[in-house]
Amino acid sequence: MNSNNGLLSSGLGMVMRNKRYIFWFWLLNLTLAEFGTAAFRRSAHAILDHSLLSDKLMHSFDIGVIVDLLQRPEFGQTDSMTTPALYFGFLFFLFTAIFLPGVFAGYASTYRLPREDFFRACGRNLWRFIRIMIIAGIVMGVFAGILFNLNGVVVKKATESTNEVLPFELRMIGFTVIFLIMTTLRIWFDLAEADTVLNDQRAIRRSIGSAFQHTFRSLGRLLTTYVVSTLVAVALLLGGLLIWMKLVAPSSVTGAFVIAQITLLLLLIPRFWQRGIAVSYWQQRMLIPVAAMQPAEATPVVAPPVPVAPTPEPVPVVSGSPNPSEETH
Amino acid sequence: MTRWKIVLLAVIVVCVAAFVSRKTVTAAPQAAAASKATETRSAPGGAVSIPDTTLAINSPTPMSQRIVHYEIDAKYNATKHTIDANEVLTYHNLTGQALDHFPFHLYQNAFQPNATWVHEAKRDGSRDTAYDHWDAKEYGSEEITSLEVVGQGDLTKNLQYISPDDGNKEDKTVVDLKLAKPIAPNAFVQFKVAFHEQMPETQARSGWKRDFLLGGQWFPKVGVFWHGAWNCHQYHATTEFFADFGVYDVKLTVPQNEVIGASGVEISDVNNPDGTKTVTYHGDDIHDFAWTVSPRYKVKEATYQSQMGPIKLRFLMQPAHWDQVERHEKITRDTLDHFEKWYGPYPYRTLTVVDPEPDSASEGMEYPTFITGGTSWFMPEGLHFPELVVEHEFGHQYWYGMVATNEFEDAWMDEGINSYTEVKVLDSILGKNTSMINLAGMTLGEREGQQLSYASVADRDAMAQNAYDYYSSNSYGGITYGKTASVLLTLEGIIGEDTMAKAMRTYFMKYRFTHPTKEDFMKTIEEVSGKDLRWYFNQAVYGSPVFDYEVSQVDSQPVNWYEEKKDKKEPKKGAKDDTVYQSYVSLHRKTDFVMPVEVEIRFDNGEKIREHWDGHSRWTRFSYQKKAKVVSAEIDPEHTIQLDRNDFNNSFVVEPNPKPTYKLSTYWLFITQWVSQAMAWWAV
Repeated sequence: MNSNNGLLSSGLGMVMRNKRYIFWFWLLNLTLAEFGTAAFRRSAHAILDHSLLSDKLMHSFDIGVIVDLLQRPEFGQTDSMTTPALYFGFLFFLFTAIFLPGVFAGYASTYRLPREDFFRACGRNLWRFIRIMIIAGIVMGVFAGILFNLNGVVVKKATESTNEVLPFELRMIGFTVIFLIMTTLRIWFDLAEADTVLNDQRAIRRSIGSAFQHTFRSLGRLLTTYVVSTLVAVALLLGGLLIWMKLVAPSSVTGAFVIAQITLLLLLIPRFWQRGIAVSYWQQRMLIPVAAMQPAEATPVVAPPVPVAPTPEPVPVVSGSPNPSEETH
Repeated sequence: MTRWKIVLLAVIVVCVAAFVSRKTVTAAPQAAAASKATETRSAPGGAVSIPDTTLAINSPTPMSQRIVHYEIDAKYNATKHTIDANEVLTYHNLTGQALDHFPFHLYQNAFQPNATWVHEAKRDGSRDTAYDHWDAKEYGSEEITSLEVVGQGDLTKNLQYISPDDGNKEDKTVVDLKLAKPIAPNAFVQFKVAFHEQMPETQARSGWKRDFLLGGQWFPKVGVFWHGAWNCHQYHATTEFFADFGVYDVKLTVPQNEVIGASGVEISDVNNPDGTKTVTYHGDDIHDFAWTVSPRYKVKEATYQSQMGPIKLRFLMQPAHWDQVERHEKITRDTLDHFEKWYGPYPYRTLTVVDPEPDSASEGMEYPTFITGGTSWFMPEGLHFPELVVEHEFGHQYWYGMVATNEFEDAWMDEGINSYTEVKVLDSILGKNTSMINLAGMTLGEREGQQLSYASVADRDAMAQNAYDYYSSNSYGGITYGKTASVLLTLEGIIGEDTMAKAMRTYFMKYRFTHPTKEDFMKTIEEVSGKDLRWYFNQAVYGSPVFDYEVSQVDSQPVNWYEEKKDKKEPKKGAKDDTVYQSYVSLHRKTDFVMPVEVEIRFDNGEKIREHWDGHSRWTRFSYQKKAKVVSAEIDPEHTIQLDRNDFNNSFVVEPNPKPTYKLSTYWLFITQWVSQAMAWWAV
């Protein structure tokens, strides 16, 4: 097993040992999205529920009916549907930021992290995470702005070519490069987050600095693992959509809901896997080694001469008394 | 020729001229002009006439009344995108009156910053160029460098730009030529025009992009004398064209590496010593001539056997779209099949289908025997956009090409009627609900598409108005295309599908190679159907009232409700319910369009009742006493009314069915969750 496999498998192992985190984040994601889609649902109910036309939606994905619905004045402005969804989407992002320190702590723990420890880690690292997020946002925003603009310029230049496919190819190449660079930045800040939590680092600049060094020291190894996990996410999404289209009957609302939610639940795994990778890497490379305690030199104790005495009576075992060998701490 | 014969001939000519002069005075109000009318049937150098050639049609005789004959010798500079040409226009004055001036379209002057076309396009935010980034080298221009009228000398100085539509003095899309002497009725006149043209970077399906050129509306073209006056409008952002039928002989000199396609039939292709080649085309019974060049076209040729003879099909494809050439050919053949079967024969010997340069604003355009399609290198089979564009543009060979309506004033008669036949043909070829999209479970039919485009602008404009007088380009599109198609589909429901098909065929066969008016069209439908349809046309064509009927209330209550109140026991499930219900179904005409409708009322015992409502009052109510409750009511149960702006309120189901909403919500929920996950993926 090479080192990449080591990171991938140990990261995945952490995710699997802490499946409950995936479930809870999915539940949070679903709950918030439910709120976010309430306005849409309410408007749709008012128009569709008593109309025979809506039956067309049950036999296929009839774009005409959907567009017709969306452009009905009584359905409301598109903004009134998308804005709540975006707000609740933003809330999910915030909650992720709040609970993530607990996830890091849980992944690093060799035992099931008690709830109070989870939330303690969240509370203790909240302000640190906000600071990291702000710095990450600035760095990633600047990079994204520059890279996307650069890509735009290149693609625009390519449109002057008589090769019709060239702009698309360049855009895709550009996106790939941007993805790799942004993933590198994500690795950097994932490591910084892991270090902050696991090292209980108050000075986040130290975590960021240390993470920066490690990111570029082990870039190939880390980037490969992150790319692999992202590809898994893409495969999960495409697979889910394919199953949805091929196996779920157009009229089956329950089937659509179940497949959609399973897909979304599974889609959470790759990102948590990446965090597991970050924790695993931290444990392997970034954990500040503590000097091992040397066992004390054994000093022979000279026992005083004991007078020979008669053999003592055996002590009766009392039921319920602690067994020293089973004592736990 | 002996002397006495010459004297006799001179006497005859003088007598004929005097006779014609007198007739002209009677016919034309311009007495002074008419008195000077001269016969120019015989110009110096030989007799002048319009050729009666049939080289380009599968007919032994001309099919149109030929008024113009254009002979153009053009040289294209592919580096500068300029055209220098000499044009000889022979015009046959069949107006019945003397003509003392001739207006010409100079369409390429539309692509100047102060032109009306650009004003309108900028105002509406429409068309093809972001004008803030519009550079002078991308403008278009068209200049007549000299103009001679045979027998009257050089009249270049008599040219004067006019702007009959909006008075914009900066607009140079129409130039008027005042003659030295009027042209007598039935006489011929020849104009010898030299012109220079700077083609624009493509706008409105004309111009260059990279090394591609589409030469549309590229030569000085005379207006149409119609209904007693010259009809020669300025070029507007939402207008198309109008011209007389005739014969075209065009020589195009282009670089030898260019692949060329054009209207009409190719007569010759000769390489010149200077690295150019001259390709000559001839067109019969057409009213425009377009051409294209690109060094990168890949060409497929095929033959289609039409009712009148073989048609040479020529497909000029972009290299990246070559794998779609079969799709283009198939839809062309299928469309030809349908048009020939339903409306009448295609008489021309050629049809050139051009897949234009990507991103060139040249997609989807019609010229006689020459159309442009529109596709992309990525086009799954389930997206039928290439089929839709080719079908639509081919349809214009009938509605515009042969039935040559005035596109400036009655745009709905070409675009709209064509959109209607597009729905019919594509429904038949690709399926009613899948003619636009049939991909991965998603479906969209062409008729839905037309209705949607109309519904968003339903109350903006009437169909019967000048194309340049619409509220916006959106309104122009929605009304001209979408509403007309919806109006004619609804008309099918009124007179019957078969009758409508018969009427359309009659209209085509009667008015092909002419310039019919809207009244010609509507009268044809009334004659064929035997129905007075004025009530419908007045609202749908001449007016802008919106059609929106709704089932406003459905209610069933026990007749003896007071007894029910005393004894609140619900009947057991499955037990026979002997309760008599008083049911009401109320219909509401929400807007001003009045039309009789059918209503179907269903009861919970399986019974169905059909009612008829004339729609004259604002609302109506049907009431029933039955041992059954109303389950649903639906206006237009056969779904023949395409014109209704809101189809959702055409029916009411008492027991709500939330499943469609749940289904849509599931999609929206998925998208919301996925987006929020993606946001969290990158941000934290």
